[in-house]
Amino acid sequence: MTRRHFSRRGALKLGAGLTASALATPAFAQSRSLRIINDTNAGEERDGFIEVVEGFQEESGVEVDLSFIDHEAHKTAIRNYLVADAPDICFWFSGNRMRTFVERDLFLDITDFVQEQGYPDVLGGVISAVTINDRQWGLPLNGTLWGNWYLSNVFDEMGLTPPEDWDGMMAFVDQTKGMGLVPMTLGTKELWPAAGLFDQFSLRTVGLETHMALMNGEIAYTDPQLAPIFEHWEEMINAGAFLENHTSFTWQEAAALLGRREAAMINLGPFVNSAIPDADKKFLTYTPFPKIADIPRFEDFSTDSVHIPARAENPEVAKEFLEYYYRPENLMKTIGPAGAVPPRNDVPAGDNPLVNQAVEALRSVEGTAQYYDRDTNPDMAQAGLNGFQEFMVRPERRDQILQRLEQTRQRIYGDI
Amino acid sequence: MWKRNRSWLWPTIFILPAVILFGVVIVWSSLQSLWISLHQWDGLGPKVWVGIDNYRELFRDPQFFTALKNNVIWLVMFMLAPPLGLAIALLVNQKIAGMRFAKSLFFTPLVLASVAVGVVFTWVYTPRFGLLALAYSAFGAEAPALLSDPDLVTFAIVGAALWPQIAFCMILYLAGLNNLSEELIGAGRVDGAKGWDMLRHVVLPQLKEVTFIAIAITAIGALRSFDMISVMTQGGPFGSSSVLAYEMYEQSIFSYRFGYGAAIAAVLFVIMLVFIGWYLSRIMRAEDLR
Repeated sequence: MTRRHFSRRGALKLGAGLTASALATPAFAQSRSLRIINDTNAGEERDGFIEVVEGFQEESGVEVDLSFIDHEAHKTAIRNYLVADAPDICFWFSGNRMRTFVERDLFLDITDFVQEQGYPDVLGGVISAVTINDRQWGLPLNGTLWGNWYLSNVFDEMGLTPPEDWDGMMAFVDQTKGMGLVPMTLGTKELWPAAGLFDQFSLRTVGLETHMALMNGEIAYTDPQLAPIFEHWEEMINAGAFLENHTSFTWQEAAALLGRREAAMINLGPFVNSAIPDADKKFLTYTPFPKIADIPRFEDFSTDSVHIPARAENPEVAKEFLEYYYRPENLMKTIGPAGAVPPRNDVPAGDNPLVNQAVEALRSVEGTAQYYDRDTNPDMAQAGLNGFQEFMVRPERRDQILQRLEQTRQRIYGDI
Repeated sequence: MWKRNRSWLWPTIFILPAVILFGVVIVWSSLQSLWISLHQWDGLGPKVWVGIDNYRELFRDPQFFTALKNNVIWLVMFMLAPPLGLAIALLVNQKIAGMRFAKSLFFTPLVLASVAVGVVFTWVYTPRFGLLALAYSAFGAEAPALLSDPDLVTFAIVGAALWPQIAFCMILYLAGLNNLSEELIGAGRVDGAKGWDMLRHVVLPQLKEVTFIAIAITAIGALRSFDMISVMTQGGPFGSSSVLAYEMYEQSIFSYRFGYGAAIAAVLFVIMLVFIGWYLSRIMRAEDLR
């Protein structure tokens, strides 16, 4: 060991250290800049958002650095960047998924800004989606109303009418099967569409209060009061209401059967229109899931939202941007195309029939949930999604599946 | 001073960057993973020490054994790749017109990303619209929904994954066949060896090293299988095609259970260690013989 050798080694180490830090560019806080990460998948919404950002740059003179991440990849990326390298604006889901970050102080409390702008007046009840402990942690964007969808031209050709109650539903299954149609097409390859059905049966039988208690881990999955959910569901499964081998299909492939005149209905959100041929798009019609128990109408109405990370470098500029983005004409540029319901009630009625149908339908809804995997703990949701998919293939395993879900619930929420 | 130490100093300097990189990226990460597996951690908040609780839960979880069983299926089925690769290599190694074209056809799957292979095979397997369904319906039969059958789904995915793997083994053997000693083959001919005998006693012994590499890489590839499963079934239906690597990903990323995921990773690491140890010991021995 000579000294020279020492210093050489040291120099090498130092060199390695230098390159490593050079890779992570130092963030010099500039007074008027803004970083936005957006997870919108390609399409009109994305172009609309670029337009909004360009408009904001012009109006405010702020330098905006905008990057897009793939929607699915973003779900994992957000956990890194909120902690390590936060942008000034990011997009997420409201409800329980938002709670995950709020509880860890990763989203900025923007209550004062929301009140200043008078948003509570134009948002009405929708504001509850971004409210935790009476504080607002983001702004709601597009609302997705879930339910049954069919092509009205196909129904007219075949002389079908959408079922309104349970007996009607079972009759509809027999009628459409007799015509060689799949009564309800379904793709559970990505698991979550099965959870949407669970929500439908739950909201139609036990109602919103019990449903939300289950979502919050306050009711056991093995609780006998949940039985009607699975009894009705099983009745439909055994009647052959759903697409065979649905675990092999994505929702897009399943929805394609509507356009091919091979299926009657699908239970999803208005975004199903992206899987319908252009010629049939204008016939896509919403109908609520049939009534089962004699209770008020509750629906899944999920909201996405926009947030300022707690560690954002330019929170003030971010608020400026939100104010610009939240003007009705700008907001509609990004949420209009997918048939989502605008969160503000002062948005002029558009010509999108999907939006108008949903707005109309929401008038008679007593209360809304978000969606199974947005309302409950993510760990619970993963187990639930798998369990519901299994139930739809092997309904006879109901008790074992619920037993397993209850074990997961106990691990997460503890004893009741 | 410099001159006296030159003999070992230069190699040290050249090897140092690789050692540092490997130490930080591989060794340190592995140790950190083991450390995390002894905690309950959601990837964001504080880590809570739970000792071996994660492992206890793991060995009580039927899903873990499903994944383990699938890993074994992968390992066994994947061992078809070296012999099939050899067979194809022998086939295309002949000097016949058009063999070049055939070679490149067999070579194709290697240049495709495995994700692309997975997507294409998913389309083949899709009931109602897929190639398989169309082929069956041409004969008036209905194709089995391979990716929906809990018992067949893993075999269906391995079938897709074998395609590029066989091509890979074929390339290894083609390279090996080019290095055969002409003298030995000539000597074999003089002794009257033909066909099967020639292959068994003259050609194969010379391909021993290639076979070893093909088997080792195939085994490790089978244990690493993740991308195909992620693309084709996401572990479904209801977890029946999951393997340890996918289970680890699902638990960490979707269920926010990094400690539990790390415990699964540790188990996978131990299984891999058996193969890697065997591989390394062979390599070391081969080097000592030289």
